[in-house]
Amino acid sequence: MIGFLQNLIDALSLGSLYALAALGIGLLFGILRLTNFAHGDFISFGAYALIVPSLEVTATKFIGNWPWYLTLPAIAALVVLLALLSDFLVFRKLRQASAPTLMIASFAVGYVIQNVILMVYGARPKAIDVWSSLQQQVVIGELRVPQLQLVTIGITIVLMLGLSLFLNRTSYGVQMRAAAEDFRMARYLGVKANFVIGLAFAISGLLAAMVSLLFVSQTGTLSYVMGVPLMLFAFIATVIGGMGSLIGAVIGGFAVGFVSVMCQAYLPEELRSFRDAFVFAIVIAVLIFRPSGLIPTKALVQRV
Amino acid sequence: MLEVDNIHVNYGRLQALRGVSLSVREGEIVCVVGPNGAGKSTTLGAIAGGVTPHAGRITLRGQSLGGLPPEAVARLGVSLVPEGRHVFGSLTVAENLRIGTFQRRDRAAVAADFERILEHFPRLRERLQQPAGRLSGGEQQMLVIGRALMTRPRLVMVDEPSLGLAPKIVDQVYDILIKLRHAANLTLLINEQSSERVLKFADRIYVMRGGRIHLEDRAANLQDGKAIMQAYFGFADGTGAPPPLSPAPTMKRAAE
Repeated sequence: MIGFLQNLIDALSLGSLYALAALGIGLLFGILRLTNFAHGDFISFGAYALIVPSLEVTATKFIGNWPWYLTLPAIAALVVLLALLSDFLVFRKLRQASAPTLMIASFAVGYVIQNVILMVYGARPKAIDVWSSLQQQVVIGELRVPQLQLVTIGITIVLMLGLSLFLNRTSYGVQMRAAAEDFRMARYLGVKANFVIGLAFAISGLLAAMVSLLFVSQTGTLSYVMGVPLMLFAFIATVIGGMGSLIGAVIGGFAVGFVSVMCQAYLPEELRSFRDAFVFAIVIAVLIFRPSGLIPTKALVQRV
Repeated sequence: MLEVDNIHVNYGRLQALRGVSLSVREGEIVCVVGPNGAGKSTTLGAIAGGVTPHAGRITLRGQSLGGLPPEAVARLGVSLVPEGRHVFGSLTVAENLRIGTFQRRDRAAVAADFERILEHFPRLRERLQQPAGRLSGGEQQMLVIGRALMTRPRLVMVDEPSLGLAPKIVDQVYDILIKLRHAANLTLLINEQSSERVLKFADRIYVMRGGRIHLEDRAANLQDGKAIMQAYFGFADGTGAPPPLSPAPTMKRAAE
């Protein structure tokens, strides 16, 4: 029983990361029909922004050395800037483009970011320890939980509540929801297209920044492809949840985290190295029974 | 107030509009009548900035609308109620009504407009906090008209308000539009497939077919319906019977 609870907390904490990343992807898909494969590289960029740019093997922390209440906003601002920049330089020119074109453009943006990181920081993974004091365990009864997991879950809850308040209670949020549902109609009613899209990119960047910080403090390593697996699982989460549905993205994120951790914990020893194959098999099974995801939306219906 | 001067619109190789000109004066009700695929919706879309003509000029009170995005045209006081209603189904009725008011600064006037529109549409008041997707077709049509009015437009363009609604509901919709026209001092440009109903209240009528205007006259001069029939179907003799050997006009759904 204790073992299961322990696994459950692991699953919640991993699911939190996937859910946050999936929200960032789902938000842009809902409004722009953009499947942003550069999102993982936004995450990598946020992590690398913690250290001094150099090709040396050992990482020298820069922003990462600041107190957390400065590190958080600084990294958030940098990733938001990157997200806005990629909209301004690339996606804004492609407003009339089809969804596949946008997706391919996002691959291109991702490659550019990856290769810039490669050139500036080098290809070798670097060890970095951020907020290592959070690795200490909290003992609750017989449970031993790393503080970091609690912080991850806590930050995720705060961000989701914040996003939900923003979307439901503010006029900008209502405009974003309207734009996500019927972009053309929203514009006929005076909703400014580029503003709403910019806002979506900014929020997506903010979410990516939080994922970078939480992820890097968990793994303690930097690598120029570190965001790719996160992006992959987050993308799968949005597909399972139902593309375009934000609640779906969150549910999908937690579901993927849960399945992943449980496969790791309960698969027979010799099968554990094939964990991801089992996760993907379950994903395929879900999609066979619910092809448009757990929470289907109208977003997938082609707009005329 | 509105001048559309010889606009051409292509969708790929399909010519949707081949030189359409029309004008709407302050306070008028103008109706564009024509069969499916005539280019009526495209014309409204071009005025609202959703479709870009490759030739021709559109001016609103002397100001050119060429190249303006839809949101900029909306802010100049033109509100389009597109065909098929387009409510934001997951937003509440109240949120739907407020979407068009976020760019307005006059908070007190917005609140007053909100009340005024709910007086015209009491059904909506009962459902303010419900998702708009749950409303009936008629209620949704009321909602999109109310939503358009919340932007305080001078010109409201309604694309086929009767589409998919029971005749009784259509009567209600038109009653309200005409009532609102006087109450809110509106100018109306309305598309319909059938001329029958609009002949009763329109000031002027345009008949459109195959991407061109084929007739323009005051509604008072068209009451017998003969001239409209002729322009609508393109019959040469006006007897109401199709000429024996002319090929049927090709109408493409894509033009909508």
